[in-house]
Amino acid sequence: MSQQLITESQQVTSAGVTITNLSKSYGDNQVLDNISINVKPGSVTALIGPSGSGKSTLLRCINLLETPDEGTITVGTTTVEAGTRVSDRALLDLRRQVGMVFQSFNLFPHMSVLRNVAFPQEKILGRSREEAEERALTLLDRVGLREKAHQHPDRCSGGQQQRIAIVRALALNPRAMLFDEPTSALDPEVGLEVLAVMRELAAGGMTMIVVTHEMQFARDVSDHLVVMADGHIIEEGRPAEIMANPVQERTRRFLSAVLER
Amino acid sequence: MDLVQYLPQLCQGLLVSLQLTVISVVFGYAVGLLLALGVSSRLSWLKWPALVIVEVGRGIPSLVVLYVVYYGLPSVGLLFDNFAAAAIGLTFTVAAYSSEMLRAGIQSVHRGQKEAAMALGLPQPSTFTRIILPQGLRSSIPALMGLAIQSFQGTSLAYSISVSELMSNAYQSSSITFQYLQIYAITGLVFAVIAVPSTWTSVWVEHRLAKGFA
Ligand SMILES: Nc1ncnc2c1ncn2[C@@H]1O[C@H](COP(=O)(O)OP(=O)(O)OP(=O)(O)O)[C@@H](O)[C@H]1O
Ligand SMILES: [Mg+2]
Repeated sequence: MSQQLITESQQVTSAGVTITNLSKSYGDNQVLDNISINVKPGSVTALIGPSGSGKSTLLRCINLLETPDEGTITVGTTTVEAGTRVSDRALLDLRRQVGMVFQSFNLFPHMSVLRNVAFPQEKILGRSREEAEERALTLLDRVGLREKAHQHPDRCSGGQQQRIAIVRALALNPRAMLFDEPTSALDPEVGLEVLAVMRELAAGGMTMIVVTHEMQFARDVSDHLVVMADGHIIEEGRPAEIMANPVQERTRRFLSAVLER
Repeated sequence: MDLVQYLPQLCQGLLVSLQLTVISVVFGYAVGLLLALGVSSRLSWLKWPALVIVEVGRGIPSLVVLYVVYYGLPSVGLLFDNFAAAAIGLTFTVAAYSSEMLRAGIQSVHRGQKEAAMALGLPQPSTFTRIILPQGLRSSIPALMGLAIQSFQGTSLAYSISVSELMSNAYQSSSITFQYLQIYAITGLVFAVIAVPSTWTSVWVEHRLAKGFA
């Protein structure tokens, strides 16, 4: 089923994501220091590093949930430069192209699963209710959750909720997807269901940036591994290589800590 | 005891009290929502006036508010009959109290909800009206139900500006018969007959809400 999830969801092609000289401070605390990353269209970049290293902040700067102090962000043909005023149009345009999945799912608890997936399509893409719900059902079916369509999210397990959150984002035909520790709130077995969906997406050619502690996933699925510490990129390259021979002492310590869990 | 003959008058009064309650709750909550939005606004020309209205409304006893509306405002040319004055005064007090309850409810919505809506690319107005507000209203419901019961009890203050609500009709009846104890006991009972089951209902609703959306 791997190609299906994406081909049906991707009427547009995946876009590259380029971050150039990005910096961000909270008060005196410099959280991101001159970060540059180039994610090729259709590739998967895994982002790892100790707690507080700035991984979430970096991800949230890409869709402007946080406002960077310096640097530029390019998604496909949309470029946003820090410090300049971003029009509402450009902002919504950027966010429409970039899907995001959170550690805590963040489904809308007052809507049924079906409405969670259909409502944003209606509001953002202007689809009719019928069209949006039909598409929602198709996608829910792909991740094995069609029978949950008329339930509320709090009747779904964490793994189910996270798959619904992925579907909700996919329904908008994003050109790239950001994942912030999508399985950290889940039991390991349940996390596998979610990782399976992400593998399909990757296989289907979705551009993905994934913050994760799942080393197996990072090794198998990602094309590029970025290691962050204290707001810097301390090491990056091919995942298998870095995992086998980390150059930096801090990478080595971090990897052994994660692998021991 | 021919108390029964005063029942129609008490019922008439009850009807007026209920009317005042419905008016002050419906308009009070609507104005309260606007005040809540004003107080949470980043625009200081909205924020400060709203804040002043809320603090004044909560700080002044509603009896004083009724007097200001009924006896005070005519001196600046605003003349209301007793019922209208009572409705306006009670609405003002209910608006001030409810705005804080609504604001607390809206603020209690998890910030991940707003972030998810923003990340999807939902415009700000629909993020508020379709995502934040429904959840915020929902968590304000128990407090708002409690306030509705209090405002029903508060309508007895309208007696002071001669609205023929429950309390004033009771007073009239008792001043004819001198059966103060009996008539006020019945009046208290009537208030309780409405308020106590309402309180039970609100506890039940609160319990249901706590169980989740499904
Ligand atoms: N809204 C904020 N205000 C102030 N400081 C913040 C804010 N968000 C994050 N920080 C700080 O920025 C730094 C980086 O946080 P960030 O959440 O990006 O790290 P992370 O790598 O995602 O960590 P984790 O693995 O724990 O999720 C931390 O020191 C954090 O305290
Ligand atoms: Mg994080």
